[in-house]
Amino acid sequence: MSDPLLELDDVYKSYGEEQVLSGVSFEMDAGDVDVVIGPSGSGKSTMLRCVNRLTEINGGDIYLDGDCITDADTDVNELRKQVGMVFQDFNLFAHLTALGNVTLGLRKVRDMDKATAQEQGYEHLEQVGLLDQADSYPAELSGGQKQRVGIARALAMDPKLLLFDEPTSALDPELVGEVVEVMRDLAAEGITMLVVSHEMGFARSAASDIIFLDDGQIVEHGPPEQLFENPQAARTGEFLSRLETAHEEE
Amino acid sequence: MPPFPLQSDWAFVAGNLDLLLAGTGITIGLTAASILLGFLLGFPAGAVEVYSRGPLKRAVESAGVVLRGTPLLVIIILLFFGLSVSSSAFVTATIALGLRSAAYQSQIFRGALQSVDEGQLEAARAIGMGRLQAIRSVVVPQALRRSVPGFQNEFTIVLKDTSIAIVIGLGELLTVGQNLYQGGQSTAALEIFLTVSLIYFVLTFVTNRSLDYVDDHFSIPGGERA
Repeated sequence: MSDPLLELDDVYKSYGEEQVLSGVSFEMDAGDVDVVIGPSGSGKSTMLRCVNRLTEINGGDIYLDGDCITDADTDVNELRKQVGMVFQDFNLFAHLTALGNVTLGLRKVRDMDKATAQEQGYEHLEQVGLLDQADSYPAELSGGQKQRVGIARALAMDPKLLLFDEPTSALDPELVGEVVEVMRDLAAEGITMLVVSHEMGFARSAASDIIFLDDGQIVEHGPPEQLFENPQAARTGEFLSRLETAHEEE
Repeated sequence: MPPFPLQSDWAFVAGNLDLLLAGTGITIGLTAASILLGFLLGFPAGAVEVYSRGPLKRAVESAGVVLRGTPLLVIIILLFFGLSVSSSAFVTATIALGLRSAAYQSQIFRGALQSVDEGQLEAARAIGMGRLQAIRSVVVPQALRRSVPGFQNEFTIVLKDTSIAIVIGLGELLTVGQNLYQGGQSTAALEIFLTVSLIYFVLTFVTNRSLDYVDDHFSIPGGERA
């Protein structure tokens, strides 16, 4: 059997006295879409950021495609070429057009010539349905469009794994759909995705596995039908019902 | 008939306009050289204050505090008469104005660099850029745009402060005016210094308008005005 694409092995992270991750372990295979849910402050985003080492762990190991990426001698820039990230607040480069955002990495990191980079840039913008906005600057785009540019920017690097850090939580409700739709397309294309999100529709229909994180630990990990319909842990059930109530109140 | 009728005072200024314009040339040259030196030192200094830690950062910050806390007049006299850094008044004035400007420009750039949100730097790192490259490709282009208004002020200040070079005898605009008056050839003090003021005004006005144009030209569509 081949190695899992991503493996977290007993990962610990603390900020000073505050323990954020306390022995997190899980694996995902190529093509999997895992959705991480959990209360705010449970360590979801931190866990995600540990995978591309925007945040450094204090203990344990993380493996990507069989290679330990948390060794001291790992080249983080090489690692990050293989792991794309989509941010909650988009973090688009404000001085560049949509196309410029998508091609910057191709030009500066992959050393592509301008014409090739642009050709690929247009392809990725088309993939997220934004070909007609290629020349728009971030400030001229809606939130949903910004996030789709963010996704195209990450896709352009042709990563083995895409990380999504609450990609829809900064969006107006009516703009969530267009982003989720793009994510669904990517999932269907077999792109490996680790997604922190409370978009239950996406989680139910697109996820291979749901990971419920609470207090820095994985409380429950399983396919969506099991976790949503028949949660094994009491805490999972409580969290899901709170989430449901919150949704109804909206 | 009074010895110096009013009309002849203006005629005196008009007759010496070539000297005043030559002085203006030196003023422009001194401003350009000082601003350039200030930029070459001030921009890296601002970047060091934002991105560096340890002794380099402390050294840069201290130099800035000292330069900003010393009157320009004192700096220029100290450099020329005290340290004799150069026998050329122009070079000395450039160093004095350039150092002082660097201290102020560093703060303009520091603020501008800090104003670009951290998330963009993080996003650049997340696609595999090194820290320096991310700063260069993502933060600096935006920071430079946001520096224009502050830079505009600094340009105007340096332009006018070139007049301080009068104390080391550099033949810039104000010195030329002063010499015309003090040479005892004329009582046209008012006319001479009004003309000198007008020239300074035209220079600052043109400079400001040009920088307004730069600001417009490089502003990011849909984004905030720099």
